[in-house]
Amino acid sequence: MSNKFKILVIEDEVNICHFVKTILESNGYQVLDAHSGSVGKMQFLSHCPDLVILDLGLPDMDGNDLIPFMREEGATPIIVLSARSNEKDKVTTLDAGANDYITKPFGTEELLARVRATLRNSRQKMDADGVVRSSYAVNGLLIEYDRRRITVKGEEVKLTQTEYNIVELLASHSGRVLTYTEIINKIWRYADPGSIKKLQVNMANIRKKLGEKPGENQYIANELGVGYRMVQEDD
Amino acid sequence: MKLKKVVIKIGFTILMLVISFLISLFVVELTEMYSVVPALFTLAVFIIALATRDYIYGIVSSFVSVLALNFAFTFPYFKFNFSIPENLVSGVIMLTITTLSSTLTIKIKQQESLRAETEKEKMRANLLRAVSHDLRTPLTTIYGSSSAIVENKELTKEQVWKLAEGIKVDAQWLMGMVENLLSVTKIDNGNVKLIKTPVVLDELVDSVLLRFRKRYPKQSVEVQLPDEFVIIPMDAVLIEQVLVNLLENAVQHAHGMTELRLKVYEKDDNAVFEIHDNGCGIPKERLANLFTGYFVSEDAPADCQKRNMGIGLSVCASIIKAHDGEITAENKKEGGCVFRFALEMEKDEYE
Repeated sequence: MSNKFKILVIEDEVNICHFVKTILESNGYQVLDAHSGSVGKMQFLSHCPDLVILDLGLPDMDGNDLIPFMREEGATPIIVLSARSNEKDKVTTLDAGANDYITKPFGTEELLARVRATLRNSRQKMDADGVVRSSYAVNGLLIEYDRRRITVKGEEVKLTQTEYNIVELLASHSGRVLTYTEIINKIWRYADPGSIKKLQVNMANIRKKLGEKPGENQYIANELGVGYRMVQEDD
Repeated sequence: MKLKKVVIKIGFTILMLVISFLISLFVVELTEMYSVVPALFTLAVFIIALATRDYIYGIVSSFVSVLALNFAFTFPYFKFNFSIPENLVSGVIMLTITTLSSTLTIKIKQQESLRAETEKEKMRANLLRAVSHDLRTPLTTIYGSSSAIVENKELTKEQVWKLAEGIKVDAQWLMGMVENLLSVTKIDNGNVKLIKTPVVLDELVDSVLLRFRKRYPKQSVEVQLPDEFVIIPMDAVLIEQVLVNLLENAVQHAHGMTELRLKVYEKDDNAVFEIHDNGCGIPKERLANLFTGYFVSEDAPADCQKRNMGIGLSVCASIIKAHDGEITAENKKEGGCVFRFALEMEKDEYE
């Protein structure tokens, strides 16, 4: 079967690699595995995978060093597996060009959800050359990009310009964490010491207007100390 | 940082010596009571030794004092003279006194740190004991069930599924335990200062609830938050851990609970966090050392301990302590109990 998505798993722990492979294969993906960074590099070049799952702690190199290499080769999405690290490490990884990260230990559901979201995002981006997506819809929330209009269950939500820009940015990368820095750079084009707070205040207002409550956020999820993630669109 | 401390200590030493020299001059000028002077200098050196807590400052300043005494306050005045035995003897005596007193203060200091170290060592040993004990139970399930699956080819699908389910549950429990241990090592790591980042209260509560719901999907939590936009500087991972632990603690130990509430309100410059339940409350004898001890109680044999009585709450206590706060627990009159801690909010200059 050649029409399956090809996923390259670079992970030196044989057991983890095995179970990730099993989960992915039983969900209809084709999986290649590499137990070291150098083998991973070769596999990456010769097989052109659709997605890379990359462990940070490899025996022969730091996984973080592989990200710039893969970025140079193209836009292949990368999901990073990391042992519980602090927020700073996550931000570094994301800002280096990884598309998402999963913290160890993780379960089947989480892994599959991230894989799906990441693949879908990269496909959308590829489509974007031809067709520009005109809307985003999830759980009753509808964003019409060309009209800059947002409605929740049919009712229009009045956002300020900045607030709308933030929502649109998150929606166009739905399913993926955008770091504070990433958002700030795209919205305000410059960062100052108060930027993160400015973003947090805006986000609080957006949430209020969308009618979201702590523990019941339907649209925008928090990654404390890292950034925000918009829920993936309905199919 | 270190250099700054040294400069401060040197400055303090010089200041004390100058002050005592001036006072002595003044006293002698007014009253001609020369006998007071050595006492004044001894006092100064004693204070220096006490404050700087270092040999070198005490000894140097006692030398200086002896010289000053010899120079200004013994005959011949304002001239060094080491040939008069009286001066020499009093100098030696003073040197001895000051050296001894600085040695003494340093000894006290060493003993203090030694005691703190022993205390910490004891806590660590307690923790290790509690943890290794707590780890054994889930590991038994995981090891036993997985070897049953690997070694018995003729298990039915149903049986395999049951065993695997058990493995999953206990592995999840282990995950929680490991999170707690990581938190402890993060704090325990030789007084490393916490890296606090400004965290939005609503976002914190949101992640806590998500994490809690993942493990206890059936337990609802009532949430009461202030309407204002509140930012609290904290180590988010650790405080999240505290709140999850407290909620989890209620689920596991507040028997008969029907209502679980997370309430946060502002009081002065603090955000006060409260976890209420309406369960069975906490027995009085437990209340006293709820946060300090791990309940490896002596009267029960080690293997009929209920698991997870141990480290959760003491982890909470040390995390809050590292945030310069204190965590308390009390029984409520109407039944159940409340856990409470406060964190300082960010001073707001931005709306």
